[in-house]
Amino acid sequence: MPRPEPRAISFTIDGREVQAPENAMLVDAAKHGDVEIPVFCYEPKLGQPVGACRMCLVEIEGIPKLQTGCSTPVKDGMVVYTESERVKTAQQSVVEFLLINHPLDCPVCDKGGECPLQDITFGWGGGISRFIEPKRHFVKPLELSPLIAIDRERCILCYRCVRYSQEVAEDYQLVLLERGAHSYVSTFDGHPYVAPFSGNIIELCPVGALTSRPYRFRARPWDIEGAGSVCTLCPAQCNVTVTVRDERALRILQRDNAEVDDGWLCDKGRFGYQSFHVDERVTQPLVRDGGALRPVSWERALAEASACLERAGAQTGAIAAGGATNEEGHLLARLMREGLGSPHLDSRRAGALPLDLHRALGEPRLQAKVADLEFAHAVLVLDAEPVNDAPILDLRLRKGVRRHGLKLAVASPHKSLLDANAALSVRYAPGAGAAFAAALAAALSGTADAEQLARDAGAEPDAVSELATLLSGADASGEDAGSEETAPREVVVLWGERLTAGPVGAAGARALLGLADGLGVAGVDGAGLLEVPAFANGRGLREAGVLPNAGPGLAEPGPVTATASGNGNGHGTATPPARDAHEIAAGLAAGDLSALYLLHCDPLRDLADRELWERALAGASSVIAHASFLTEGIREHANVVFPAEVYAEKEGTIVHPDGRLQRLRPAIAHAGDVRAEWRVIAELALRIGLDLDVLSGTMASQRLFDAVPFYAGLELEEIGGRGVRWQERDAAAAFPAADAAVASGAGSARADEGAKPSLRAEPGVTLEPGPDGADFAGWRSVWDAPEVEYSPALEFLFPRENPVLPLSYSGGGKT
Amino acid sequence: MVAAAETPILLFTDIDEPGLNTLEVYERRGGYQSLRRALAMTPEEVLEQLKASGIRGRGGAGFSMGTKVSFLPKGSMDKYLVCNADESEPGTFKDRELMQKTPHTLIEGLIIASYAAGTNRSFIYIRGEYELQADMLDAALHEARSAGFLGENILDSGHSLSLVVHRGAGAYICGEETGLLDSLEGKRGNPRLKPPFPALQGLYQGPTLINNVETLATVPAIIRMGGEEYAKLGVETSTGTKLVSVSGHVQRPGNYEIELGIPSREIIYGLAGGPPEGREVKCWFPGGSSSPVLKAEDLDVPYDFNSLAQAGTMLGSGAIIVVDDSTPILDVAMKVAKFYRHESCGKCTPCREGTNWTVKMLERIDAGEATPMDLEIMASVQEHIIGNCLCVLGDAMAMPIGSIIAKFKDELEAHMEAARLRGGLNGAAASETALAAQGALDA
Repeated sequence: MPRPEPRAISFTIDGREVQAPENAMLVDAAKHGDVEIPVFCYEPKLGQPVGACRMCLVEIEGIPKLQTGCSTPVKDGMVVYTESERVKTAQQSVVEFLLINHPLDCPVCDKGGECPLQDITFGWGGGISRFIEPKRHFVKPLELSPLIAIDRERCILCYRCVRYSQEVAEDYQLVLLERGAHSYVSTFDGHPYVAPFSGNIIELCPVGALTSRPYRFRARPWDIEGAGSVCTLCPAQCNVTVTVRDERALRILQRDNAEVDDGWLCDKGRFGYQSFHVDERVTQPLVRDGGALRPVSWERALAEASACLERAGAQTGAIAAGGATNEEGHLLARLMREGLGSPHLDSRRAGALPLDLHRALGEPRLQAKVADLEFAHAVLVLDAEPVNDAPILDLRLRKGVRRHGLKLAVASPHKSLLDANAALSVRYAPGAGAAFAAALAAALSGTADAEQLARDAGAEPDAVSELATLLSGADASGEDAGSEETAPREVVVLWGERLTAGPVGAAGARALLGLADGLGVAGVDGAGLLEVPAFANGRGLREAGVLPNAGPGLAEPGPVTATASGNGNGHGTATPPARDAHEIAAGLAAGDLSALYLLHCDPLRDLADRELWERALAGASSVIAHASFLTEGIREHANVVFPAEVYAEKEGTIVHPDGRLQRLRPAIAHAGDVRAEWRVIAELALRIGLDLDVLSGTMASQRLFDAVPFYAGLELEEIGGRGVRWQERDAAAAFPAADAAVASGAGSARADEGAKPSLRAEPGVTLEPGPDGADFAGWRSVWDAPEVEYSPALEFLFPRENPVLPLSYSGGGKT
Repeated sequence: MVAAAETPILLFTDIDEPGLNTLEVYERRGGYQSLRRALAMTPEEVLEQLKASGIRGRGGAGFSMGTKVSFLPKGSMDKYLVCNADESEPGTFKDRELMQKTPHTLIEGLIIASYAAGTNRSFIYIRGEYELQADMLDAALHEARSAGFLGENILDSGHSLSLVVHRGAGAYICGEETGLLDSLEGKRGNPRLKPPFPALQGLYQGPTLINNVETLATVPAIIRMGGEEYAKLGVETSTGTKLVSVSGHVQRPGNYEIELGIPSREIIYGLAGGPPEGREVKCWFPGGSSSPVLKAEDLDVPYDFNSLAQAGTMLGSGAIIVVDDSTPILDVAMKVAKFYRHESCGKCTPCREGTNWTVKMLERIDAGEATPMDLEIMASVQEHIIGNCLCVLGDAMAMPIGSIIAKFKDELEAHMEAARLRGGLNGAAASETALAAQGALDA
């Protein structure tokens, strides 16, 4: 739906004329005049105001009773008083009422010092207590869940947490029980409140009633500092504030960015920080010695690694994944291409696409923004499960449906958690995402073979055509149609990387482009494609040139050169055919490649085709890895392990799936002997004779901005705390255009006869869960991660947190 | 039932006729003629009659019914008519008798009102304790449906109406119109923020007209007589007749139909027989337990909306509770305050905490642990509640308690002093009661 465009009006508050957007609630409008109206229950993120706490009572001329400022929209010419005697008395009385059953145990309360109840009592309270009766008592504190403690005595019954559970997260677990002064927040039957986004209620609570169990009694507000950063534990890249005490992360808070996370965090992002400071984390360089990884000095590790790389030369492959920054990816690509003479590098889970398709899918005119998920007319979630792939988008879609009349469609091979909110859910055969996209594109363009394509994808032809109707808006009722004449229909396709993975990946990408073409999203503001990459900085790494077939900025890669003396065949000869992730594995297994460089990647966990990678790792003569945890592949196969930084230690930039460059800043000091990874890569390059000329994190960023044409002119200052979408800058014009036939979707999968047979759903696809919880092709939920496993508070979520039945389906990667 | 000789009887016509609850007797006595007459008119004409009658809501707020109907937006959206039969105000039992003895009057009125308001779906939300009445309504509904008064195309008028009797689960707050709607939707019965008013966004977010049982049951009489004729009854701004439930210390408690504007004394002494021999009226609640109390000297106030408002109280639901001089005023206050503390939903602060605090202070007075300053605090607490709550439940306690503190200050102070002097055992016992109450709260 089109976003509202408020008109400015003027009203009078406390005798001063103030401009404010029409129909803003008075408490918000008052801020335009630097007037603060105290609130407890009001929180716009929770939807409609409820007017429960009565703290925001104000006097409005012409209305006899005091009105709640949180629920009264401001009108032109309104005259409001917030400091009259009547208002003051009312505000004081509400504070007095709230405190009569509040234990006033501020000295031992975690919230003390950052507590709205304290602040408002100080600012608007009467300063004396007339209540001498016994207070209400509850057993305290109770475990609301393994993550959250609830102190019902401190609760002021503002309803925020209950509303959040009911109207934002929609898990419907929190309820108010009993009545009147006996009321308390609880769950049905006292079950633990376990949900993907439960931690948000801790921050919503305006008193110390809901506290984080991992944070309880760890610090007082005057002991701590807040440091803004971006969570890189999944592609959603939510903005966070790290609470730091003595160089340790003690807590993660949301840092509201409506363009990214809308002010919410998932529990992994909120509590995963514990894994920064656990004993299992790798904090010093390790080298394999006598069959086991042993701690060594940096000098020894770097010498070992550079020797390995020199030996392997152009027979080195490299994979970057996870939260590796753009700078790290860029430097790694230079190390490979310019230092070792090897073009074999990748940052996609199941191999790269043809360069033209990468360009076509990255085309600025096709990109949707996160906020579009909320305001679009329709959104199609295609081959993705937001809770598992980029959790926070799940809340955004729910919000769109609940508050903005968004029509949500879900196309997936299995049940989706969004089915209940979807106007239409369509199922297709496991692994047939690409085929389904082709069928849908065909249904949109009305071609004759649409039905057959749908059947090939294992989907109901009727459901596919119904979906096409829904997305194209052909079914729109009269009122909808009226608005369409003036504004084009806004449709967003939220698609998962698995749609374009593996042998049918290219066909999937073409089908997707055909779909975009059929929906006419190109160049329409508020419409487009939005990818959920497999890795947190998947988009950034690709743009930085960590692809076998593209240099920085998706340019044609230049010829490789080598400074290393290794025995590789890149020496003075023509550039060998570049290998993508899949081919690197095959090459290692076959002995064509000998070394593997892993940046934040454990191939056995993170990449497609585990079986092939097991052979590849076994066949590799040396494996050099940057890792935080010794996960299976690293533990068994790495020769050299550099301790990796966690995001709170990192400096650099990452790119959000919608193209927003975001900046990571070091919030805490490096643990143990951890060094900045850009520095490690630069040092290695130097040792093999390549001077990358990078002396600081800022320089590393500058080199990247200089190398990527469509980042041209960027500076870290410009990115700032909110990030900047490169598509919205002038330099975006420098984005390399794809071949016209590809970009227009003319080369869609349907026309691609060669790809057609492989698009068909394979009969007898297995439906059993894959090994260790991953699906058949190894696609893991973001919850299935070391950060969850090694965070003591989250551990309970680790093996079980799999909100969707892990049905196996071949998302590609099968050889 | 007894009625004053000259009072016109509209609602209680034939009320004691055996079998009036059946369709057969009801129709024999002229039932459903008003419906036929109304359906022969246009909805606008029916609405005109309602407006002309000047009838004000009988549930407590006293808002003009005709005006309320006209607030409903025109259009083809789903609109609802909800009859509030959650008669929970202490002292009020008029709707119970109406629904039990002449359920068809309510049903007929409801159909006519739905025709005027253009609503096609209706509900009767009846308090859970009224099991017998709900059963009788259900039986009457069945008869009405069979006779074609409900359902599709009623009596070939083109008007359709579905009607469902929904039983509440026993919360006073569900008698508050928006709390009722939440409860009806299957949610916890908490009041909603207004605006939006139910007339625009009510049940299931659709326009909703909510009326009390007595209001709707009066509609057939208005159609029968004509609105203007009805308006001649009673006094200006308070037209028509009203059912009054008289209870407490009177010799003949019960429901009486009166013409609005007669002296209150006539109801309490004339109809209900006044307090037992040898006792005097100490105070009386003119409109249910939530109305500010009046004293014996106010007995000549005319019983109508405006006169009572001028006397600083309200007509409310028309439930007169008489308290004679044998009862300590503190007991009265305690009874009222405890009721509202128990029934406060807990959503908004002043009501939740204020009712609780008030009870605790009253208990302290009774225990001899209070000082006159506590009366001032208690009075100011009532002032802080009034007008500052989400719904009127808080006011419903604060208004009578406030009036009791103001009008019986001397007696309360004497009570306090006596309790303090008794001290010792009694005081300790009372403290124990308070502690026990606290314990119950904890559990």
